[in-house]
Amino acid sequence: MSGGRSLWSAGWARFRRNPLAMAGAITVLVLYLVAILAPALTPYDPVSHGDLPQMRHQPPSKDHPLGTDKFGRDVLTRMVYGSRISLTVSFLAVALSVILGSIIGAVAGYTGGFVDAVLMRMVDALMSIPRLFLLLTCIALFSRSLLLVTLLLGATGWMSTARLVRAQILTLKNREFISAAEALGAGSRRIVLRHLIPNALTVIIVSATLRIGLIILVEAALSFLGLGVPPPTPSWGMMVYEGREVLLDAWWVSTFPGLAIVVTVVGYNLLGDGLRDSFDPVRFT
Amino acid sequence: MPEDLLKIDELKTVFRTEAGTARAVDGVSFTVGRGETVGLVGESGCGKSVTALSIMRLVADPPGRIESGSIVFEGRDLLGLSEKEMRKVRGNEISIVFQEPLSSLNPVFTCGEQIREAIALHQKLGRRESRAKAVDMLRLVRIPDPDKRYSSYPHQMSGGMRQRVMIAMALSCQPKLLIADEPSTALDVSVQAQIIELLVDLRVGRDMAVLLITHDLAVVAQMADRVVVMYAGSVVEESPVEELFASPAHPYTKGLIDSLPKLGQSLERLPMIPGTVPDPLHVPEGCRFSDRCQERFDKCSVEPPLFDLAAGRRARCWLCEGSEG
Repeated sequence: MSGGRSLWSAGWARFRRNPLAMAGAITVLVLYLVAILAPALTPYDPVSHGDLPQMRHQPPSKDHPLGTDKFGRDVLTRMVYGSRISLTVSFLAVALSVILGSIIGAVAGYTGGFVDAVLMRMVDALMSIPRLFLLLTCIALFSRSLLLVTLLLGATGWMSTARLVRAQILTLKNREFISAAEALGAGSRRIVLRHLIPNALTVIIVSATLRIGLIILVEAALSFLGLGVPPPTPSWGMMVYEGREVLLDAWWVSTFPGLAIVVTVVGYNLLGDGLRDSFDPVRFT
Repeated sequence: MPEDLLKIDELKTVFRTEAGTARAVDGVSFTVGRGETVGLVGESGCGKSVTALSIMRLVADPPGRIESGSIVFEGRDLLGLSEKEMRKVRGNEISIVFQEPLSSLNPVFTCGEQIREAIALHQKLGRRESRAKAVDMLRLVRIPDPDKRYSSYPHQMSGGMRQRVMIAMALSCQPKLLIADEPSTALDVSVQAQIIELLVDLRVGRDMAVLLITHDLAVVAQMADRVVVMYAGSVVEESPVEELFASPAHPYTKGLIDSLPKLGQSLERLPMIPGTVPDPLHVPEGCRFSDRCQERFDKCSVEPPLFDLAAGRRARCWLCEGSEG
């Protein structure tokens, strides 16, 4: 192994030399900046209606670079604010599912035996439930809210992470440094949190990054079906939905938010692939 | 004779496999006195490491299980302790150094952090104090530039250095017993000597007993006060170190000593013991060594007991019958 300072700095050096990975990283970074700085980037309000009816479905112009929608609202403004929804929901949902999945996977892998069997059969059972229908049912039963959507996306997405982490833990737990930690008197919780999960961290981060793209798509699909964030809060999926009736006359209403979804998902996937290529220990040992 | 620190009595550790029950440790008894260094010797697969793991209660269960016996350490039977109580013993009162120094260190943390963790597990110290103590431990095991080496990752260190780090971790809480499981086997010959020398030096003035597990009789001759020879899961001979080398009682011990290269002796080939250690799934009837033994006779079809010989020596061989002291 080369004499780099650590696993992380060696991986970072590889990452920087990968143009696609850097493109993904910059895209994601810019998106977060846009979401945070939204009010500074555009003079319009994303929610309040403009002067109807002369403002509705204006084509792109100097004042409205991406045109206006059927309520005369600036499409660019709504897209900029909409990024907040997509990024927040996807980030929180993935964070939730990764934390849940890592802990459940690590406990199953480390404990083994009966506990492992029960947890993994639970994963199998949950994975066999069609996710979109579960989401639709829950949203129909309860109310439409951002929190509910986030929690549901998080709570239905941890199974694949759990499997991945469990597989990693199984290969790690028979390594001697785990016996050595046990021999020093470390308890199970300490072994899992301090010795097993940090060693599986690169795999966890890579899978989380790749999953964010997927969650953004699911959130957009829910919004498109009218089951995401309630209007008038802008979200990309809902904007695509709102524009579909006038796609031929006012193409900009659907097209630009659709492009935003594509760019974000591609950005995250490039970032995730780049992280995997740079940090996954399997590829360098 | 020093007071007993560790007294193992009739320890039986088995592994249940699909092919049957492997009796890896089958009725082992021996003692380690306070401050004493005991060498536990035998070929690979004769149950040395399983004995060590049994003392630490780290035998993987399943498939392994400590079936019976007792392991009394400072008056307490370790086999009767709860897992929580046992955690306070591990690394604090009894420490172990494993054979493979690279894989025994966690690759994602610095060596210093890992020593610090070993200290923090058993002592209530602030972050800065435990760090300072970890640096002291690095200095103690003679790692040059300990302050800087604190932040080195395991892969940036040589095998010998990593084994020093392992020793520093094991000694960080001043254990009363250090189990060294083949501490120098995975290292270069020149580094082996340094590690053994370090262990010899560190033992002095610490009132620390060492259970040295090895198949290398040269290391035993250099370090140990007393030797326990194991074969196929049981103790076949026990003796102070000088007497063992001067006049081995058990044919197996003789074979081990004969197969060492000697100074001033030029042989085409070193003598060796024919055959291999029996499969623990199928331990032979009678004396376990009989099918490899040059001196076997009729009586060997019955398993011999441990005969007490003169001067604290014991041997499990019918040849010793009648010469008990």
